[in-house]
Amino acid sequence: MEGMEIITHPEVPLSPAVLAILLSLAEGEKHGYAMMKDARSPRSGGIQMGPGTLYGSIERMMRDGLVEESDRQDDERRRYYRLTTRGRTVLATELARLDAAVSSARSLGLIPSGGQS
Amino acid sequence: MKPDARGSERTERAEWIYACILWLYPAEFREAYAAPMRQAFHDALRDKTLPRRALVRLMVRDLITSLLKEYLAMLRDSTFRPALVFNAIILSGIATGLGLALYAIPQHVLRSGLNDPQIQMAGDLAIILDRYGVNDGLRQGALLASGLGTNIDMERSLSPFLMVFNDAGQLLGTNAQLDGQAPIPPKGVFDYVRRHGEERVTWQPQRGVRIAAVVVRVKGPQPGFVLAGRNMREVEARISDVRMMAGLTWLGMLALIVIGTVAFGIYSRPRPSTPIPPVPAKG
Repeated sequence: MEGMEIITHPEVPLSPAVLAILLSLAEGEKHGYAMMKDARSPRSGGIQMGPGTLYGSIERMMRDGLVEESDRQDDERRRYYRLTTRGRTVLATELARLDAAVSSARSLGLIPSGGQS
Repeated sequence: MKPDARGSERTERAEWIYACILWLYPAEFREAYAAPMRQAFHDALRDKTLPRRALVRLMVRDLITSLLKEYLAMLRDSTFRPALVFNAIILSGIATGLGLALYAIPQHVLRSGLNDPQIQMAGDLAIILDRYGVNDGLRQGALLASGLGTNIDMERSLSPFLMVFNDAGQLLGTNAQLDGQAPIPPKGVFDYVRRHGEERVTWQPQRGVRIAAVVVRVKGPQPGFVLAGRNMREVEARISDVRMMAGLTWLGMLALIVIGTVAFGIYSRPRPSTPIPPVPAKG
């Protein structure tokens, strides 16, 4: 887009599962099933994600420094995670990328204008 | 039994089955995430907004994809280290070299050994014909004096045979035939022998019939050529066996290298003792 600053990040573009997890955690600390439930909702992309995919993604995201385990513990088996500063930056970069794509699609008439992006 | 109690029993059984299935994951991943995964499944089972059938489909798909992903990740982390990959490439190169040698050396020994009787026979007959000439020598029974049988079938017999040609490459006499005729080798063979004195060739007078032939020059008053040949069928079958054994040995060595590399990679896999700290934000 003309005049738009393109911010890049090595992690971007994100996989749908990673984007859904980051979006879910953007609201605050969450445990596994809460993230799975959020991911299913249309605002997180309607991703059907099971525990294997969720925790596999979380492990890699922790390794990349996008999320971290929080100290909160209300159940022995339940673990809570939160976004790191880096995770928030990566999420913002990905959303800017998607926003630019949606704006471009709108200017081409592929999506009706006036809708939410 | 009340419906609630039955439902609870089914839920507990499903959780037990899921806990058992978690043993399929790589040990490291299972140790780290089995408990929260069981908890997530427990929560999903009690979520009234998630239909049971959709949950089953989701779990089956999730198990298949995540198991595959975690094992691939484990393999990648275990073996895709420069030193391991480099060692595996070097060992594969050595195995390939050994495999080629296991084929090439016996093949060469078998093939060249096949010529030994013909070298002797062609040489002996050429000495006689050098003295008398090819026409006169044959008239005096030089071919019969070789002691070989007559009318040898080139296709079926493994016996060596002899052919005598004049200087123009025309057949003067032979104790062999192929389908009732005596085939003649390509003219280029005679040209080569005329220049170099001897040639050892694999001659195919007919599709499926391959002859190990030694052709020598006859000098003297009536020059010409002597060809001593022998069907290669048995030796080629042995060479084929050698090729198969060398190929299997090569594949076996490669399989051992792959298994050894993966096993050593898993055994020596670096395991972080402390969680990896998050990367600090810039600025």
